[in-house]
Amino acid sequence: MMSRHLVGRLLAGLLTVVVTAGAAGCGADDAALPDYQVPADPPRPVGMRDPAVVPSSAPNASESCNPRASLRPSGALPPPRQMPPRTAMARIVQRGRLVVGVDQNSYQFGFRDPLTGELTGFDIDIAREIARSLFGDPDKIQFRAISSADRIKVVKDGTVDMVVRTMTMNCERWREVSFSTEYFTAGQRILVTRSSGIESIAQLRGKKVCAADGSTSIRNIAEAGTIPVSVVNWTDCLVLLQQNQVVAVSTDDSILAGLAAQDPNTQVVGPRFSDEPYGIAIAKTSPELVRFVNAVLEKIRSDGTWTRLYNRWLRSLGPAPAPPKAQYRD
Amino acid sequence: MGSHGSAVAAVPGRSVVPPPRPWTVLRRMTAPLSQTPGRLTAILAGVVALGLLFGATALVGVRQRADLVRGVTVRSGELLVAAQNLYRALSDADAITASAFLSNGLEPPELRERYQRDLADAAAALTVVSAATDGRSASAAARIAARLPVYSGLVETARTYNRQGLPLGVAYLQEASGLMRDELLPAARELYAAASAELDAARDRAAGFPWIATLLGLTTLGALVLAQLYLTRRTNRLLNVGLLVSTGAAVLLLGWLIASAVAAAAYLQASRDDGSAQMNLLAEARIAGLQARADEALTLVARGNGAAFEQHYVVVMEQLAGADGAGGLLGEALAAASDQPTRQAVETAIAQSTAWSAAHRQVRALDDRGEFTEAVRATIGPGDQTTAAIFNRLDEALAQAITYNGERFERKATSAGRALTGADVGFVVLTILILAGAVVGMQRRIMEYR
Repeated sequence: MMSRHLVGRLLAGLLTVVVTAGAAGCGADDAALPDYQVPADPPRPVGMRDPAVVPSSAPNASESCNPRASLRPSGALPPPRQMPPRTAMARIVQRGRLVVGVDQNSYQFGFRDPLTGELTGFDIDIAREIARSLFGDPDKIQFRAISSADRIKVVKDGTVDMVVRTMTMNCERWREVSFSTEYFTAGQRILVTRSSGIESIAQLRGKKVCAADGSTSIRNIAEAGTIPVSVVNWTDCLVLLQQNQVVAVSTDDSILAGLAAQDPNTQVVGPRFSDEPYGIAIAKTSPELVRFVNAVLEKIRSDGTWTRLYNRWLRSLGPAPAPPKAQYRD
Repeated sequence: MGSHGSAVAAVPGRSVVPPPRPWTVLRRMTAPLSQTPGRLTAILAGVVALGLLFGATALVGVRQRADLVRGVTVRSGELLVAAQNLYRALSDADAITASAFLSNGLEPPELRERYQRDLADAAAALTVVSAATDGRSASAAARIAARLPVYSGLVETARTYNRQGLPLGVAYLQEASGLMRDELLPAARELYAAASAELDAARDRAAGFPWIATLLGLTTLGALVLAQLYLTRRTNRLLNVGLLVSTGAAVLLLGWLIASAVAAAAYLQASRDDGSAQMNLLAEARIAGLQARADEALTLVARGNGAAFEQHYVVVMEQLAGADGAGGLLGEALAAASDQPTRQAVETAIAQSTAWSAAHRQVRALDDRGEFTEAVRATIGPGDQTTAAIFNRLDEALAQAITYNGERFERKATSAGRALTGADVGFVVLTILILAGAVVGMQRRIMEYR
């Protein structure tokens, strides 16, 4: 079909050079092939910081208070649904459900079973025991998943009746809220891969160790001479460990137990190098509720419920120890 | 006569012949021009040269323009579509994987299929885009090519852990989503912007006014008129038919040249205003919707640690529909909509985005109260008022509008090409007429002097 353009092509060919001499300038076909540099480094969890920002100095540790000492139960537990009038317990029974602030991200302590969507774990079961004592029914309970930073706020403003969320009792927090007696003793340890040969924090000097952003764990591992790497959620630490981006994860063994349970190639090693007594946080305005919860804890320590729950959830930390002993300040 | 030397010397009183002066040579060369036939020949040569140059320039120009217009449709337009597909497929993959995690353990097969479709679409579009782009934006294509397998690896790891009921799955999902948002999507956005800029540049080139050819045309016309005046003065004949034909052909050629260029430019402008500009706005809106959808799901999947995703949701929803639900990209698209189907689709999208915001508040209220299961049901449960159902209607309305405007773009760009149809043959014929008219008309006068 081009033949009819023959004259045109002749004319065009004749003068193309004249007309387009200035505009032409192509020659890309013989250009060298480009050379691209693309990153090959492993992907990073969102919000990862390497090195981590180490929180400023420890909260005033020189205080003379015993964070483990709580309020003594006032006699035996009342029968379910028959709470003394005008108490926090009576108001909860009146409402028909116990509202508890929990974690939904700590595997084995408070997490959502991905298969059922239900909250479950050691903390959750402890909270259910309290609901059982109040209502005679462990399901009369409403969980509110809260973040670590909101724990004190939701207790103080009454959003929840109590917080059962891997919460360490210390004198600083005691000024804001009341705590039950100790229901679990945690301590900072390290999680490493089984083949690493690492047995203590001393071997991690100069190596990258992961912990959650803003946690006291970061401060402890920084003091031990490691390079702290921080992430938003604890599970991100396990991702980093699996991707060889860190050598170890270090925090409370309660959390490490949950990580170790998700990857059989990892293990919790070394001695505890911090003492973290876990308590249930309750508003300072409800001392009667604190005494009630302590009575419930006394009961589950003595009737074997505590050991049963420990074995159900925390087997990766070894066989169940004796339940923590209750200490009282009155 | 003896020798030559003595013969010269034998001529007395005659001085030696001086060498010719330069001006003498020039005068001798231009001598014919002082006479009418010589001048006529020179004028004819000038007119022929100008006519030839004009015709050839017009012809080359119109052929180049046709190529450029074809480039707008078949290259730049297609490249834009491919870049848009890449950006959309990647955003869609991000939204779909997050949604799939809301269903416990076993993701719905249709979501899995859609995710696989997205990956395939993204890879195919990336191949097209890589082949077509060069320079700085090509390194963005290389980055996507390098990171896409890493992304899909993370997604599969997440899926495997999720199937085992381990929270680790969510951590991998978040890492995958972070990679998508921090590296892949910005690179895809860069490619999309480059393709969009290339289309605009190609369109500008194709719509340029043929200045050189127009000037040559005017000069040719001027020369023809002067030739005619000269002939009239010299020959006392009022009109030279040959020159008249030549002048008419030049006027026609110039008119055709300008008209075709202006028409093509107008169609190209329309292909932007009623096509690709709309398509760009709608595509941006669609991608904002996909990101908001991903954020909503990720907030839920993060199980109480999703505040950052919720914040991002608020940001992209405001981009999508503005603070009042009728602004943002959708508001812009509505204001720019130049026809009923587009306006209707955008109105649907605005209504759905408003409904989505309301349903989303419900989901957040449930999740913030710790009623995760109910929040999930309000997101992906049965019924047509879940956020997933509302989102799907929004996405579909935008997708239809994008396809529709894509077709409009193609139609207008094709019309631009059609405005140039036949111009090359016509230009050749008219050029021949210009030349033939001038030659025949003037040759006769020149012959009269022989």
